Amino acid sequence: MADRRITLEVFRYRPDGDGEATIQDYRVPYHEHWVVLDALNWIKDHADGTLSFRWSCRMGVCGSCGMMVNGEPRLTCAVFLKDYYPSPIRVEPLINFPVERDLVISMDDFLAKLQAVKPWLIRDDEEPPEGEYRQTPSQLAQYKQFSMCINCMLCYAACPEIDGIPDFLGPAAIALAHRYNLDSRDQGQSQRQEALGGEEAVWGCTFVGECTAVCPKNVDPAGAIQQAKVASTKDWYRHVLLPWGKR
Amino acid sequence: MRGPLRRPFPRDWFVRKGAYRRFMVREMTSVFIGGYIVFLLVWLYRMGQGPEQYQALVEAMRHPLAVALHMLALAAAMYHSITWFNLTPAVMPLRIGEDRLPNVVVAITMGYLPWMAVSGAILWGVLR
Amino acid sequence: MAALFMPAFIVVTGLVVPFTTGGDADLDYERAHQVVTWWPVRIVLFVVVFLSLFHCAHRIRHILMDLGLRAVSTVLAVFCYSGAAAGTVAALFVLGTL
Repeated sequence: MADRRITLEVFRYRPDGDGEATIQDYRVPYHEHWVVLDALNWIKDHADGTLSFRWSCRMGVCGSCGMMVNGEPRLTCAVFLKDYYPSPIRVEPLINFPVERDLVISMDDFLAKLQAVKPWLIRDDEEPPEGEYRQTPSQLAQYKQFSMCINCMLCYAACPEIDGIPDFLGPAAIALAHRYNLDSRDQGQSQRQEALGGEEAVWGCTFVGECTAVCPKNVDPAGAIQQAKVASTKDWYRHVLLPWGKR
Repeated sequence: MRGPLRRPFPRDWFVRKGAYRRFMVREMTSVFIGGYIVFLLVWLYRMGQGPEQYQALVEAMRHPLAVALHMLALAAAMYHSITWFNLTPAVMPLRIGEDRLPNVVVAITMGYLPWMAVSGAILWGVLR
Repeated sequence: MAALFMPAFIVVTGLVVPFTTGGDADLDYERAHQVVTWWPVRIVLFVVVFLSLFHCAHRIRHILMDLGLRAVSTVLAVFCYSGAAAGTVAALFVLGTL
């Protein structure tokens, strides 16, 4: 009972080495209450200090421990060993991202995409009248769901379209843009439209829907993208039918 | 130094998982719908040519193969319609104040009811 | 649009028209012709065909890209969308000359 073990098959890659990426097996103590992240930390502390991976909060808030667990993008702090025991568990870095080292992926590209949609309140006028913009609960409810994103990037690892369109904005960035477009305090929709319309944004999406399925925060990026398609189409028709009107 | 490693998404992703396979089937229905629209245009063209041409086409459509193709197209169109309406709540969420209406309610009011109404109107107009 | 209209269209052309008859083929034709040439029906038919064709073209193009033809996505775009445009012109012609 005390020395039950489970095998973790861990993806290893060292950019300074000369070898290819490999899979390394570790025999890890099995505890019913352990998650995959606990097992990785055990490896790091007791078996192999060279293993690199990102983590922080251990409670599904920080969004840094996302990895492929048996091929599915998951937060490793939320995947229990008991759901796999006694079968081995394969842990790999998130797919669709360049691997820096072992389980650590590069998020530079993702951060650039987030910035591209101008995810902040854009106003035509200047300072708010009394220090803040007022908003009713129902105006808040319009976008609240899409503001829950923790940037864990699982949705990017679930999306089959990203690999073929390297500049595809992707689920989280489009959901974030949609979140600001739906915000009653924001006036920047037309400024975001250029980044949002087109094949590298909403029209690159085929509504596979897996981004929504893997989202740990129920943000529903797939829904956000389809709603953005509707908005983009309306915008296009308005532009074609009323070219003299304000965009 | 070799730098970051690229790991491409598997080329055959659409057969690898149930959800991906269902997506592919859903999208494949568009081939049948496109094919049927071409047929519909031919049907209308024949009608414009006069009774004899039209009746020849109607005669041809009694052939078991034509019926089978129609049934196949119907199955694809039904699958397309049902999956489409089930996704409408994500595309067009409805709210009353702060509360989002349940997905079932949206799917019925925005999808299934209009579908029934349109289908009923077409069949009534034709069978009347 | 395709989702709303297509199943009923298929039932009509595939089952109702070939398998229900008033006994007189010429009379059947007269009635069918009368229904289709009513202007509201023509307009609805055109709008449904136009929107559904472009929707189909877009989806077929993306299936082909998913199946591995992403390298020629521009060729596919020209092929699919001009196909849909040709179909729309054909619909305009057919419905206009009924």
